[in-house]
Amino acid sequence: MKVLVIGSGPIVIGQAAEFDYAGTQACKSLKEEGHEVVLINSNPATIMTDPGVSDALYIEPLTVEFCERVIARERPDALLPTLGGQTGLNLATKLADAGILEKYNVRVLGTPLSAIKKAEDRESFRSLMREIKEPVPESWIIESPDQLREVLDLVPYPCIVRPAYTLGGTGGGTAHSTGEPLEVGQKGLKLSEPARKMVERSLLGWKEIEYEVMRDSAGNCITVCNMENFDPMGVHTGDSIVIAPSQTLSDQEYHMMRTASLKIINALGIEGGCNVQMALNPDGFDYYIIEVNPRVSRSSALASKATGYPIARVAAKIAVGLTLDQIDNQVTGTTKACFEPALDYVVVKIPRWPFDKFATGDRTLFTQMKATGEVMAIDRTFESALLKAVRGLEVKQKDLRHAKWAGGQEADSTLKEAIRVPTDERLWAIAEGFRRGMTVQEIHALCKVDPWFLNKMEQMVRGENDHIVEPTVFKMVDTCAGEFESQTPYFYATEGQTFDEVLATKK
Amino acid sequence: MRPMQPTVLVLGSGPIRIGQGIEFDYSCVHCVWALKGIGYRAIIINNNPETVSTDFDTGDGLYFEPVTLPDVLKVVEHEQAIGVVCQFGGQTAINLAEGLERAGVQVLGTSPSAIAAAEDRDQFDILLTRLGISKPPGKAVRSLAEAIEIADQIGYPVLIRPSFVLGGRAMEIVYDAEQLRAFFGLAEAENPGQPVLVDKYLLGLEAEVDVISDGVDTLVPGIMEHIERAGVHSGDSMAVYPTVTLSREIEWRMVDIACNLARELGVKGLMNIQFVVWEDDVYVLEVNPRASRTVPYLSKVTGLPMVTIATRCMMGETLKSMGYTSGLWCTAGDFAPHAITGSDFSPLVQGGVVPSADYLTQRASQSRIFAVKAPVFSFQKLAKVEPSLGPEMKSTGEILGIDFTYEAALYKALVASGIEFKGEGLVLMTVRDEDKEAAVQIAGEIVASGFGIAATAGTAEVLRCAGIDCLEVNKIGDGEPNLLNLILDGKVSMLINTPSADRMAEAEAARIRRACIETGIPCVTSIDTASAIMHALEVFAAPEKASCLRLEEYIEAKQEANIR
Repeated sequence: MKVLVIGSGPIVIGQAAEFDYAGTQACKSLKEEGHEVVLINSNPATIMTDPGVSDALYIEPLTVEFCERVIARERPDALLPTLGGQTGLNLATKLADAGILEKYNVRVLGTPLSAIKKAEDRESFRSLMREIKEPVPESWIIESPDQLREVLDLVPYPCIVRPAYTLGGTGGGTAHSTGEPLEVGQKGLKLSEPARKMVERSLLGWKEIEYEVMRDSAGNCITVCNMENFDPMGVHTGDSIVIAPSQTLSDQEYHMMRTASLKIINALGIEGGCNVQMALNPDGFDYYIIEVNPRVSRSSALASKATGYPIARVAAKIAVGLTLDQIDNQVTGTTKACFEPALDYVVVKIPRWPFDKFATGDRTLFTQMKATGEVMAIDRTFESALLKAVRGLEVKQKDLRHAKWAGGQEADSTLKEAIRVPTDERLWAIAEGFRRGMTVQEIHALCKVDPWFLNKMEQMVRGENDHIVEPTVFKMVDTCAGEFESQTPYFYATEGQTFDEVLATKK
Repeated sequence: MRPMQPTVLVLGSGPIRIGQGIEFDYSCVHCVWALKGIGYRAIIINNNPETVSTDFDTGDGLYFEPVTLPDVLKVVEHEQAIGVVCQFGGQTAINLAEGLERAGVQVLGTSPSAIAAAEDRDQFDILLTRLGISKPPGKAVRSLAEAIEIADQIGYPVLIRPSFVLGGRAMEIVYDAEQLRAFFGLAEAENPGQPVLVDKYLLGLEAEVDVISDGVDTLVPGIMEHIERAGVHSGDSMAVYPTVTLSREIEWRMVDIACNLARELGVKGLMNIQFVVWEDDVYVLEVNPRASRTVPYLSKVTGLPMVTIATRCMMGETLKSMGYTSGLWCTAGDFAPHAITGSDFSPLVQGGVVPSADYLTQRASQSRIFAVKAPVFSFQKLAKVEPSLGPEMKSTGEILGIDFTYEAALYKALVASGIEFKGEGLVLMTVRDEDKEAAVQIAGEIVASGFGIAATAGTAEVLRCAGIDCLEVNKIGDGEPNLLNLILDGKVSMLINTPSADRMAEAEAARIRRACIETGIPCVTSIDTASAIMHALEVFAAPEKASCLRLEEYIEAKQEANIR
């Protein structure tokens, strides 16, 4: 079969290197199954646009016109639309809507476009959720400034205004009082394509939890992993510090949301990978479904690296008809892709923001993503993984101390504001709060970060002046927490003697 | 079990940020593949989860750790690595070279002392003088008084920037002593304790090369000409390969400089050199003794596996042993195809190095493909960020347009980077005085292509005098309807606005640029970019003039044309 893959184009905020990783894996995966790959991508700085990764490489603009010319020349049998991020998916949708796929008899592999539309179009998504009795926050769809004015009186404040179909939430924002949504919304109306906006009840302060799930054409489903955002709802997940697996959920909460995620991908009919974002009430067992990404995403790249489970590779195989039980787990070499990974370590991701470059930029974080990249750290505990991630950010701060607050020149009131309002510096502001003797309760009241994380941070700040150097040992990421024999050469360092360390290469 | 192979550690480039993007991951991955190809056990250290380099099956081993000295040293010790590769992981990796050497670890390729010689201002000046290579006059200074003295000596405008800082941070072009006073402190604060560099700013054509050297011979895969003149960061300028306006003599001078510098520094691997052409002379602006962001782009359009060749040079092979020699790489003409014996790779195309004597005649008869690189920005995501181009890099990504004509390649690069005429609206022009002459020509071509022009009083006046019809619009302060209303009402297709030194005018212009960014209207802030758009107008009018081919078809067609 000849398969057309659409890449994600240039690196922009909200769409970075993760699609080169996913796309390269997918192309290799399709070729392994004996298919011929036609690739279009305008970004030359990628591995996927190397000669040999695909069978026919087009470095051409990602527009409907050029895609149609590629299709007309190459006559692919099928299109795999879910690997090129939102750019690739939007382009595939436009090709379908323009009748080009039908004209050249190109079928869509993997998750059907109808399911993608159902997941991405808020109204149809909401009605599907109502059908399967999964809760979604109250919201209103707006198509004109007049309609926007009409809902101003109905909305519970604060509310979130955001468009359907944009990258990293472009054009979105939080409104705290009447009138504000108008300003936030008018900007978004112009950017969104089509011009549709959402005004939604805000769940500021709730826990934000993500599940990475896979489903095949036979209906087999697994959870690759779940992830918990350090920053509660209100900050784009691309701008949040993220921890995998979740650290503060009870077993009951974990399984409640896992069950919901699997129910949703079944109802949507996903064939491949999918990301489900949920908000969980920190004081109860109620949750809302926030968003479903029916494609390979930044979160799935993170989940792949965090677990060793190659989501894009497996998704590509599912798209060409294989089922999870037929796909090998390359890491262990002995198990199948239908085994859910198990983690015996903690992963922390911290975004990398461009404010060192853009001193005048607005540093506050909300529903529009601002980070250009991210680092991930693996270690045995949340504390050590967090510190390792900070050290790897390559910013001026090498630990939880920030020059801005050193020596206590900044007043407590500005510090409190820095803890309350999410910015790229909030992590350090929280640490400084503990240094100045604030309690977990006080800080939690300001930033709503879960007390579990805050307790850990308080202990870290207390131990800042202890320098116990323990020997470093290396451990293996094996997807199965040592349950099966594994040969992966994927390692992380940790301090302290343990019995399952990886021995050095013998000379 | 196969016999144990020597282990080499490749340093990754850490998180994606402005100035250090996905290009470095491309180079790291290719380095690992090349090392594996010549029998080494290649392992990676990197902490970026988004990349191919941190895919567990890219290398023979993956250490998911921060790319810092202590973390790297632990891995080197644990793995008993014979050496570390620092030149593909951007500045993150190259910055560790000196510390690794001090810790007794073998740094593979270009030596840390050579890296220092290229990056240290004083050492580098001495080297250039010795080799008779020009650079813009200037000096590293430690006080404002000294800066003013130097600026008076060399004459304004001058470029001021902190030393040992990348991506053009806190870099500024200043036109008088008052501006120098205003910006000096910023440059000084960026890297306290280090000198501030004050150099003559030459508004010339910029070009750059990425070269591969074994310490003796130096292969120059290609010369890229920047479309925007000096003053725009190389990462934010459009660039075309091969060059379109440089004379053969100037090109040859660049090749010559590159070969001399590489030999003198003892470069083993890759090096990037930035040039400015001023009054028919070539000046060196900057040398980066490592793989740069243009390596993937140049590798793809020349067909040379640049990272592979560079890696093999690092590991001790010579260019000659791989079938290459010193000089500029060409894919046309009667060159003997290079032969690589026992290699695991074959370049896309055959070609050869042009000896200098044949160069001037050979190049003239070549048919060409053109490859235009264009930057892509993320300003829509970043409220309050100023989107005009300058010495500080702002783009997050890039795209490539390839075609048989310069015009079509430009067209593709513009379209792929989001610069196209939106809707049926007007082109809004408001340019500084220095650019008014060029603006007249640009406006003439826009009108000839059937678009309307809107301009503010100053620009409108100049256009009318030249006989070009345009709609004059109010500035924001002059009441409504003004140009901001025009933008918000969706009547504008594209904005051409060049920032001026006048602060009042600038404050208003900044609002207009942001309004365009927020409404998705292309915002062109360099008159040179605007001129390039004019070159592509004919293809905008008839997009079928652009080709749509597989990458190798462009290169094969080019070869065939040349053989015929």
